[in-house]
Amino acid sequence: MRAASLRKLVRLQLSRDRRGAFSSSFGISIGIASLVFFVALGLGVGRVVREKIFPVDASLIDVVPSQLSIGLFGGKLDQDAVDRLAAIPGVKHAWRKMNVRVPAVSFYDGDFFGRRLRMGIEVLAVGVDPEFVKADVQLGDFSDPGPGKPIPVVAASRLIEIYNKSFAPARSLPQLSPTMLVGFSFPVDWNRSFVAAVAPGPVTSSQVQVVGVSDRGLLAGVTVPLDVAIRLNRAANADAATFTGVALQAASPSDVPGIVAAVKDMGLRVDDQERRMAENAGAAVAITTSAMALLSALICLLAAFNIAHALSAAVRARERELGVMRAVGASRGDIFSLVLAEASVLGVAGGLLGTLAALGAAAAVDLIAARALPEFPFKPDTFFLVPVWLPLLGVGLGVLAAIAGAWLPARRASRVDPARVLAGQGA
Amino acid sequence: MISVEGVSRRYDDGARGVVRVLDGVSLQIAAGDFVAIVGRSGSGKSTLLHVLGGLDTGFTGEVTVAGTKLAALSDVARSRFRNESVGFVFQSFHLVQGLSALENVLLPAAFAATEGGGEAQAHEALRRVGLGEKAARLPAQLSGGERQRVAIARALFNRPKVLLCDEPTGNLDAQTADEVIALFQALNAEGLTIVAVTHEDRLRQAARRVLTLSDGRVA
Repeated sequence: MRAASLRKLVRLQLSRDRRGAFSSSFGISIGIASLVFFVALGLGVGRVVREKIFPVDASLIDVVPSQLSIGLFGGKLDQDAVDRLAAIPGVKHAWRKMNVRVPAVSFYDGDFFGRRLRMGIEVLAVGVDPEFVKADVQLGDFSDPGPGKPIPVVAASRLIEIYNKSFAPARSLPQLSPTMLVGFSFPVDWNRSFVAAVAPGPVTSSQVQVVGVSDRGLLAGVTVPLDVAIRLNRAANADAATFTGVALQAASPSDVPGIVAAVKDMGLRVDDQERRMAENAGAAVAITTSAMALLSALICLLAAFNIAHALSAAVRARERELGVMRAVGASRGDIFSLVLAEASVLGVAGGLLGTLAALGAAAAVDLIAARALPEFPFKPDTFFLVPVWLPLLGVGLGVLAAIAGAWLPARRASRVDPARVLAGQGA
Repeated sequence: MISVEGVSRRYDDGARGVVRVLDGVSLQIAAGDFVAIVGRSGSGKSTLLHVLGGLDTGFTGEVTVAGTKLAALSDVARSRFRNESVGFVFQSFHLVQGLSALENVLLPAAFAATEGGGEAQAHEALRRVGLGEKAARLPAQLSGGERQRVAIARALFNRPKVLLCDEPTGNLDAQTADEVIALFQALNAEGLTIVAVTHEDRLRQAARRVLTLSDGRVA
């Protein structure tokens, strides 16, 4: 059958039954719209979880000392343990971390990006090997400058997000960007606290200066060079020999399971709390998305049944016309193709309409969220992610649903006996 | 042109059991002949016509039309045979509503295996039946006689070897029927083989030969 003729016959049939065609396409468009909408929402929310809330590096393993110390090595995380961790096959880097084991406070009284600020806060600090955050350092050298000099610190990017979306609005403080924050200095008194007990050593005062913002920074505090942490701990007579943790960089994500097993064999623990939270959040999003997608697929299935019903009725009504086509040379395959082509047009129309409706609804939701929802940490500009394949999937599934619904009516149409239907009387 | 040897056709008619519509029919029709097939209702006239046109496939026996043996053809080959070798004219015209007269005439082209005649050929077919000026009309805008002429033009579009007509004047008034019969005679005079099933005396009289079917047999 010629393509031009097929187009003409399909157009003729669809124009004769506009109401039926609209009804069939509408059914498909509802299913496709909900499918595209919920899949885009799931992908969008998943992206926020993955990239903003829990930015987990799949090849990074956080090792911490065991809570229970048994055996020769006893789960102690000293330099010897770090050396053995670095020697595990598949480990590319081993970066040490040591908490500043004395409390610290900052009492700020001055200009804070154009606002007068007078505030005292507790400060947590962790020292890390400079290489761990080197890529995010934008100002100067991330190393111990020695006593009495400003200490370079790296802030956590997520901390800025939380500050901007909750702390700053509540206290009428300015919004900050990583660029603004780099170079900012504030005073810190080490071994001093408003709430906790302090160590027997002296109070040390210093300025700290933000030199970078990193996803690897301590979420609820500041990240300082490891040598600074060691120096401050020594000054306060606190433990300066064992580490709080070690971040292991695997050569590839496929090496991670083997490294984790080796770490556990050494009597150490892997701190995968954040990874598990990311996985749990991701799983919750995936399950919700899947449930909604399943519901949408059911709507598509119902639309397919609707098409099957409508086309069955149309085929019955057109038996004589189909018989004429057979009489003038249409094969069974031609008739089968004709009915499927009609359904495909309905599927394309329904798929396109549904996809456009979903994209429109997504844009509307984003607009409403931007205007009506209060600011909160990690609030995205868009809750949706629409990869190129998603609209194609929407249209494709629309066509698939239509063809699935049309299959049996098309078979029935192709088996119309022309001798029987043309023998009758009629207009 | 047409050879029918021992053709039988049975139907399973439920409560009535197996009905033998054609019972060992044999006949020969030469090229350029104009044959009227007559007989009472239920005598098997239309069934024979459908067998000759490749519309009815459930027969036994040998049927050869324009050199093509119909019994062994696949669905695709039989469809091609209908498209290229025969033209059908039905009592009820069977035009496709929504298509213009021209588009109805062009319908066989939609299913042609090769690029054949286009609109020019369809216009020529319409002119041949006297409807050259009404090519754009829809079936609903045509009289009964005009609709039948469009149906004849459609049957002639692919320049068939045989024209098969099933009660072609059955739905026409006397004057229009005469015009259609005159058209058939003119086409036959040009060499077209015509086989017409009919109850009409005028069509029977116009034919060169009359075959009578009775209880599924040639009387």
